Amino acid sequence: MDPFLDFQRQQTRRQFFVGSGLRLGGLGLGWLMAGRGTQAWAAAAGAPGRIHPPLPGLPHWAGRAKAIIYLHMNGAPSQIDLWDHKPGLKEYFDKELPDSVRMAQRLSTMTSGQGRFPVAPSKFNFSPHGRNGTMVSELLPHTARVVDELAVIRTVHTNAINHDPACTFVMTGSEVPGKASIGSWLAYGLGSESNDLPAFVVLTPSFPSSGNGQALFTRMWSSGFLPTRFNGVALRGAGDPVLYVQNPPGVDPSDRRTQLDALSRLNHLGYEKFGDPEIQTRIAQYEMAFRMQTSVPELTDLSKESASTLEMYGADVKRPGSFTQSALLARRLIERGVRVVQVLHRGWDQHDNLPTALRNQCLDTDQATGALIQDLRQRGLLDSTLVVWGGEFGRTVYSQGKLTADNYGRDHHPRNFCMWLAGAGIKGGQVYGETDDFSYNIVENPVHVNDLNATILHCLGIDHSRFTFKSQGLDQRLTGVEESSVVKQLLA
Amino acid sequence: MIALKVHLRITLALLVGTSLWSSPCAVAADGPIRFNRDIRPLLSDRCFACHGLDQKKRKAGLRLDTAEGAAAADKDGHVAIKPGDLAGSELWRRIQATDPDDVMPPPDSHKTLAAAEKDLLKRWIEQGAPYQKHWAFEPPIAVEPPAVAPGTPVRNAIDRFLAVRLAKEGWKLSPEADRPTLIRRLSFDLRGLPPTPVEVDAFLSDRRPGAYERLVDRFLDSPAYGERMARPWLDVARYADTHGLHLDNERQMWAYRDWVVRAFNQNLPFDRFTVEQLAGDLIPGATQDQIVATGFNRCNITSGEGGSIDAEYLFRYAVDRTATTVQTWMGLTAGCAVCHDHKFDPISNREFYSLYAFFNSAADPAMDGNSLLTAPALKLRSTADDAQLASLAARTVDVEERIKAVASRTEYLDPAALTPPPVPRDLDHLWIDDDAPSGWHITASPGAPTRWITSSEGPVTSGKRALAREDGGLAQDVFETTDARVEVPPGGRLYAHVYLDPKNPPRTVMLQYKREEWKHRAVWGDVDAIDWGAKGTTERAHQGPLPESGKWVRLEFDAAKVGLKPGDKLDGIAFTQFGGRVYWDQAGVAGRIDPVNDPAQSFQAWTRQYEGKEPGELPAALKGIFKSTTATNRTPAQVASLREHYVAHVCATTRPAFGELVAEADAVRKEREAYDSGIPSTFVFRDMDSPRESFQMVRGQYDKPGDRVVRGVPAVFPRLRTAGTTNRLDLARWLVSDEHPLTARVAVNRFWQQFFGIGLVKTADDFGSQGQPPSHPELLDWLAVRFRTSGWDVKDLVRLLVTTAAYRQESRVNPDQLQRDPENRLLARGPRFRLDAEEIRDNVLFVSGLMDAQMGGKGVKPYQPPNIWEPVGFIGSNTREYKQDHGSALYRRSLYTFFKRTAPAPFLSTFDSPNREQSCSRRERSNTPLQALQLLNDVQHFEAARALASRILAEGGATPEQRILWAYRLLLARPPAPAELAIVRGTLDQQLARYKSDPEAAKRAVANGESKIPTAADPVELAAYTLTANLLLNLDEVLTRN
Repeated sequence: MDPFLDFQRQQTRRQFFVGSGLRLGGLGLGWLMAGRGTQAWAAAAGAPGRIHPPLPGLPHWAGRAKAIIYLHMNGAPSQIDLWDHKPGLKEYFDKELPDSVRMAQRLSTMTSGQGRFPVAPSKFNFSPHGRNGTMVSELLPHTARVVDELAVIRTVHTNAINHDPACTFVMTGSEVPGKASIGSWLAYGLGSESNDLPAFVVLTPSFPSSGNGQALFTRMWSSGFLPTRFNGVALRGAGDPVLYVQNPPGVDPSDRRTQLDALSRLNHLGYEKFGDPEIQTRIAQYEMAFRMQTSVPELTDLSKESASTLEMYGADVKRPGSFTQSALLARRLIERGVRVVQVLHRGWDQHDNLPTALRNQCLDTDQATGALIQDLRQRGLLDSTLVVWGGEFGRTVYSQGKLTADNYGRDHHPRNFCMWLAGAGIKGGQVYGETDDFSYNIVENPVHVNDLNATILHCLGIDHSRFTFKSQGLDQRLTGVEESSVVKQLLA
Repeated sequence: MIALKVHLRITLALLVGTSLWSSPCAVAADGPIRFNRDIRPLLSDRCFACHGLDQKKRKAGLRLDTAEGAAAADKDGHVAIKPGDLAGSELWRRIQATDPDDVMPPPDSHKTLAAAEKDLLKRWIEQGAPYQKHWAFEPPIAVEPPAVAPGTPVRNAIDRFLAVRLAKEGWKLSPEADRPTLIRRLSFDLRGLPPTPVEVDAFLSDRRPGAYERLVDRFLDSPAYGERMARPWLDVARYADTHGLHLDNERQMWAYRDWVVRAFNQNLPFDRFTVEQLAGDLIPGATQDQIVATGFNRCNITSGEGGSIDAEYLFRYAVDRTATTVQTWMGLTAGCAVCHDHKFDPISNREFYSLYAFFNSAADPAMDGNSLLTAPALKLRSTADDAQLASLAARTVDVEERIKAVASRTEYLDPAALTPPPVPRDLDHLWIDDDAPSGWHITASPGAPTRWITSSEGPVTSGKRALAREDGGLAQDVFETTDARVEVPPGGRLYAHVYLDPKNPPRTVMLQYKREEWKHRAVWGDVDAIDWGAKGTTERAHQGPLPESGKWVRLEFDAAKVGLKPGDKLDGIAFTQFGGRVYWDQAGVAGRIDPVNDPAQSFQAWTRQYEGKEPGELPAALKGIFKSTTATNRTPAQVASLREHYVAHVCATTRPAFGELVAEADAVRKEREAYDSGIPSTFVFRDMDSPRESFQMVRGQYDKPGDRVVRGVPAVFPRLRTAGTTNRLDLARWLVSDEHPLTARVAVNRFWQQFFGIGLVKTADDFGSQGQPPSHPELLDWLAVRFRTSGWDVKDLVRLLVTTAAYRQESRVNPDQLQRDPENRLLARGPRFRLDAEEIRDNVLFVSGLMDAQMGGKGVKPYQPPNIWEPVGFIGSNTREYKQDHGSALYRRSLYTFFKRTAPAPFLSTFDSPNREQSCSRRERSNTPLQALQLLNDVQHFEAARALASRILAEGGATPEQRILWAYRLLLARPPAPAELAIVRGTLDQQLARYKSDPEAAKRAVANGESKIPTAADPVELAAYTLTANLLLNLDEVLTRN
């Protein structure tokens, strides 16, 4: 990014705040004379312009998607048991994975010492769904019902073989920490429609105890080298949904109003004295904070949702911190103009005991996932919302540990895994890419994580190659320095 | 494509540079021309667009950006620049030409050269047309500070450079700020804390000349100075208290953090500061402190993730250390050269790996083991520690002598010597069956209670009930007692019965025993699934694969396998599993009493088991006897020593008489161990005994070594001077050598940034051609040279910076300045910016009187909302659950807050602290609603508001006006203006009325936080003042260093 443009952008933001700050300040004073009460304030304040404007020149074109919900299944869901149907494997049960397939590729050291690599066919049944008869595992009955909306990619591949670097890679385009997450990039570039909520919101729901819960890292939603105001804000399942959104005991909203009016007037005197536009920004941010104290509880209050909606998501919808409730909150956030919602569900790392644990993981997520798509569609939001589902890599066709008729485990497999995209900008009802008979190598149409991210940006109206930020001597991009490309076939 | 785009951009950047920042200093009419200062901007603006490095845009094949290009003849034999030969230089002819077809720049470019500019080019060619490297790679030269017009308010040489530049804009330095502003600014900048009212009064009333300079010196001498200066350095060093990857477990290296504080306070010269951190271990006769300093390059993030490939991580660590070192001292982004030649700066891929070779032999392992102390670590013993340990050792000797004396007098008869010998007898103590024994209690791991099942519900092998548990992860039932302990019998064996559900087998089952401490574990199955205790020792002894599932299996093993011996009293047993469904039943201890063969009864049996060995559990002297002698050739004195030990410590019949003495010995031993383990250790950097070979890694891939490389520095820089070695010490000394063009510049720029808010080079982490050029190149060079020639004296440099007229200006900005210089690069006004994250918190702790100023030590855990660590933490991580501290630990300076990298404290991350995963030279200063929410509502801040309110009421006088005035002076070092006083007074009255009408709310409002509320306080008044204090603490001016 050249210094001129950088400066211009900064100016844009500054001027915006100067404008809104003045306006708010003036209103604050006027309001003081008008009387007391938050209602009066809200009415007087009106809509103070956009708090999170987009960068000048963005989006590059009017993208179909205005918002994105990214459902990240952390730990790496088994593609073989969910989406990549390999009926021929039954014959290979407990037989050695042929060397011609394995081709001495890198293994994680959790199985590299293993004496055998016995093939473990999925024990789950698949059946055709939707217009094109997409084969979907019995574990995902609800997702199967909306399969016509999905573009299932069977050939995503990544560079990393362990969780930490792979999660960092899928979310930031780099295995090494320090880069900006995809959500931060989008918040930075596109801003947000909401003045009362952050541009980028993260949910980290609970997961079944049978799941193997790998760590999450704030770097998966951190702004990295971008300014920190583009950090994802984690809406929390327990405690305040947004940190410090609640007044301390003994302090109520009218106390705050009294205080903020005084603060605004005092800061205004400061502005008159020093002329520093940061002071006006600060006045505006305190007012935004005050509005968030109302908008956040309103967001998490589900009492106005219809019974049929709640039922569609599932019984867990009332349980704070559940995936089910997170899925519904994702819709409510999008409805309120939030740009990016990321739901990170853990427990998908089935090194052993896969049949039981994977079933539990799906029980925890499938219904709400299907419901989310359906709900967005019903409300017309799917036309402007992109939904992404997937993990950080795939799992091996061979069993990790002991293989029995009923039980097996699978190790990490970065060479191919399944993700799906749905909604705005996506041609649904398709399956893209082909793997070999063992779901071990890509045969046709590989989609690198960087290609996937380029495609996601494309749906939101951004040319990934032109969307850069200068840091560490490099024009940083979400999609890295090597060539990557939008997967056109996925697009509507 | 990428390269092309970039080239365009450079051209543009240079273009922009020249138009905004014209050359800073007029060249004397006959002085030497300098290419970077005088010529490059001209050529760049007028010529490079067609004659630069962009091959596609180049006209007539001529490039003027390199000496070679300028001296190359075209097809007609013309040479653009012949050094020293004006007449033979086509360039000179063309810029003089008048014919529109001939003249350069061509008329359609709308660019012209002024006469003075032509003259510069002329003189340059006459002087031999020397080109220069990128400015930052040329050594800094200190020019004489420029003369300024009479009456210009300058205080030292820095101001002269600045004033001359300002004059070009028609500006001058602003007037000096008032004293309250100055003392508060200086106090935050030098101590990270506000001034006290006493300090303010003293400064305001000091009317002698030099009052400000004396204030500077006082602050420089304050211990808080080191804490203030350490903070940005710890960002650069990426210091934190956890490993950073995967489990993100705790690591212990806070001694390094404290070293940094000390180094600044002791004013360690920056060259030594450099050498000690990069190579303290290699300094001949290195002190403990110098070795602690090497922690700098152990601060990088590390992993202990199962399944990781060692070579990959060793590679990453070496890359991180190389890139961090280069960025920290040279301000260059070497990371680019990991995969390919640097596109912009002259660091080739091969040269990167030559630097990398200095760090590639680090002795620390690829996997950190998730340990608190991943070797190499250094134990930090002070002389006081040595004395204390010596005294404890002496007490040990004393009590052992007394034991020996009694033992030598004790009678003992060996049963093996009896005729007939006594008959052996089996023992079995069934410990757990159907329920906890009397005097024992059970604790279940969180998640599910202990569950006993009967045979109708599942498998039971003995009695009526069995323990059953199913879990996805780590789970257990723990049995403990305080008085009904179970003794390990002679010939001690431990056993338990287990049944694994074949449908849902666990990854691991574990039996744990407690003998005062839980340090005795037997494991079946995956020994890594539960990482308690040191693997491969009696703390985590692997017994084999998982037992067969679907049936009851008796697990039985020698007590010695888990480090237990006959006579040990057990006060705990735990049935532990990782995953799956597991049933336990019938656990106990078994043994056999055979007096003749029982080492607890027979001296002969006891000695027999050790013959020829070096038994670990015996004192060293006795070990030596067994190792070096046999039963037949021992001297009587040796036999006596063995017998004395046996009688006092082993023999079941004689041992009880030694209870008190042995207890005394144990107590002394424990005291010594406790003392010793209380002495902290810290991560240090060391090389392996024989260095690892280094290779140029193909495209930066850890598994694709290319050509072998040897240690060395990039060719563009001065040569590395070595004395027989080529190691980190040589590298460190090279960095601080007189010839090095970057180290001093990068360092002074970072300090400048600290005090003026933005560096002379704005991109403090990038001095390469992609970084921004300095706003005041000659000032930067002057400072760099002065810093180096002062002996790298940091305090001297700081003093120089803060005593400038520029630093002391008032910060008021006018619209013209804001328009033309929004970032205040030219310093026509004083620097004004928001306090850093730590300063904001420290400020409220300080003014509220809550702060505990204790320096150094282990990181503390102040208030933090629930679910900051927990939702991201890995199960089994020791930093998954945040255990908040209490008492004064809540109020320590923020520098001492425990820093968990994957989830830093909100008060840090919300206010732009980096997460310390990688080196950071420059923090953002954002302004967000989340900050407002935290400052208003965080218990830390709200409690501080109450404490401040208490102070206002106690110390601020009798009337509301007096109190508000007192608070303003405390917070801002100035009284409020009448308008301010009126507003605050109005709010206070509203709050008083409001809480008077709702005293219960007042009580709740003053009850936040753990510090004590003054008992005499009236809750209504205190609550109203608390909200007023909360208001004042949120003032922009309070959050800002003005």
